[in-house]
Amino acid sequence: MGRWVASAGHLGRLYLRLLGAQVRSQGAYRGALVLDALGTLLITAAEFAALALVLPRFGGLGGWTLGEICLLYGLAELSFVLMDLLFGGFDAPNLSAHVRAGTFSTFLLRPVPLVVQVFGSDFALRRVARIGLAGAILAYGLAHTAHAWTAADAGLLLGCVLGLICFFGGLFVVGGTLTFWTVDSVEAMNVLTYGGRTLISYPMGIYGEALRKTFTYLIPAAFLSYFPVLHLLGRPLPDGLPPAAAFLSPLVGPTVLALAFAFWRVGVRRYQGTGT
Amino acid sequence: MTIAPAPARARGAVLWSALALPWAVARLGFRRQFAYPQAALWGLITNTFFGVLRVAVLLALFGTRPQVAGYTAQDAITYTGLTQAFIMALSLFGWTDFMRTVHRGEVAADLLRPLNLLGFWAAQDAGRAAGQLVLRGLPMLLLFEGLWGVVWPAGALAWVQTVLSVGLAWACGFLFRFLVNCAAFWSPDAAGFGRFAWALLGLGCGFLMPLAFFPDWFQAWLSWTPFPAMLNTVVEVWVGVRTGAAAWSALGVQAAWALALGLVTAFTLHRGLRRLEVAGG
Repeated sequence: MGRWVASAGHLGRLYLRLLGAQVRSQGAYRGALVLDALGTLLITAAEFAALALVLPRFGGLGGWTLGEICLLYGLAELSFVLMDLLFGGFDAPNLSAHVRAGTFSTFLLRPVPLVVQVFGSDFALRRVARIGLAGAILAYGLAHTAHAWTAADAGLLLGCVLGLICFFGGLFVVGGTLTFWTVDSVEAMNVLTYGGRTLISYPMGIYGEALRKTFTYLIPAAFLSYFPVLHLLGRPLPDGLPPAAAFLSPLVGPTVLALAFAFWRVGVRRYQGTGT
Repeated sequence: MTIAPAPARARGAVLWSALALPWAVARLGFRRQFAYPQAALWGLITNTFFGVLRVAVLLALFGTRPQVAGYTAQDAITYTGLTQAFIMALSLFGWTDFMRTVHRGEVAADLLRPLNLLGFWAAQDAGRAAGQLVLRGLPMLLLFEGLWGVVWPAGALAWVQTVLSVGLAWACGFLFRFLVNCAAFWSPDAAGFGRFAWALLGLGCGFLMPLAFFPDWFQAWLSWTPFPAMLNTVVEVWVGVRTGAAAWSALGVQAAWALALGLVTAFTLHRGLRRLEVAGG
């Protein structure tokens, strides 16, 4: 046990050193970093502003108020940004660049566990500003819904964020693993990652049955934020699902992540390099 | 040794030789788009998925309302199909090709060409846009037609106005993108500056939501910017929110913005080139 803790501590320190190196290099040009951060922030801000600006004209979206949608939107955005900071190294465009350039082979030669190196290989500091915006959207949602918030609700929302981070992280790991075989998978995974994030930013009742069921039973995205938010708002779950289904986020997310890493191990064993 | 004067040519031949080069550049730009059909197919799938989501959001907003701000639900579907179809052709998510040639110094080789630099890039981008319209735009529209049915321009006049509007939207968009890329002459961080510009473009040109749905104060504000001319006008002329004289005046606004952007961009490029220093190698 003691040895395990010591080695985990060692890996944690390694990871933080890798991050520290990236933070230092990205912080070297402070002006460029601030500009980049604001630019990235503005993209999300524009997307959200477009929705918030048109909603008053329509009164609501499929029976949901702006505050209620903000719960879904804020959860999706907050988790995705945090996940992007953590799992950025596994994102297919990043990993595929390493595979094609042959630099992935150098990862394999270093006396540090591969996963720790990939985790520490892309930490985009400019995304940090988006955490604030996502938090603000979520906070607006919390303040503008007719609901008396309790500690249990806070726990449920925290479970959503953790579940979503694991879920999207798992998708990034799968997308990254696919680049060992093909470089074409990058766009295909975008449908699931960026598409999935957009999909769960809105109440899923607005989609057709086929799409909603696909993202409930085949890809379990609905369990991560839609069902918990439905429960918090006192609305029934679709398909006659029991209320317990609203509490599965902290279970579903890590399961997806565990499966993704199992796939990753298969991919790394098959990895042959580019011969450079 | 004397240099023989060029033989006198008919005016038509002079015009032809002046256009032959940009035409050749545009044709190559067009053909280049078809090099990776598989990537285009994946791009089309991604665009379709997002299109499905955007249609769902718009239809949920409409609910049972027959019409909002001049748009019917069918117009809103058409709007989504058009905006998804134009993403690549009009480079709505941004464009950094020129910026890269400045940072890498490749612009020096382009300056040696017997063509005005802005004209060279305009020809290349026109070809690229046309190629993307065929490769990604048309299939997208046909998919939307198959899935939900779209509204097409009504009558010959509306078609003429729509085609003119698409051309002017490309001109405004290209000149704006090129202007943003000119930031590379002054700063090595032009890409970060570009992110601002692309985010503003997305909101202002009506890619994220039809501009008619925004509050009046926001629309009034946007009407002082060139962004609506880069996409929103095309949609309004296509679906018939603006017809006849109203469409002509919208085209006039687009043309005026194209002219203004052309002047500002040409001037900025001129100033930028005077600052340019390319390291020899």
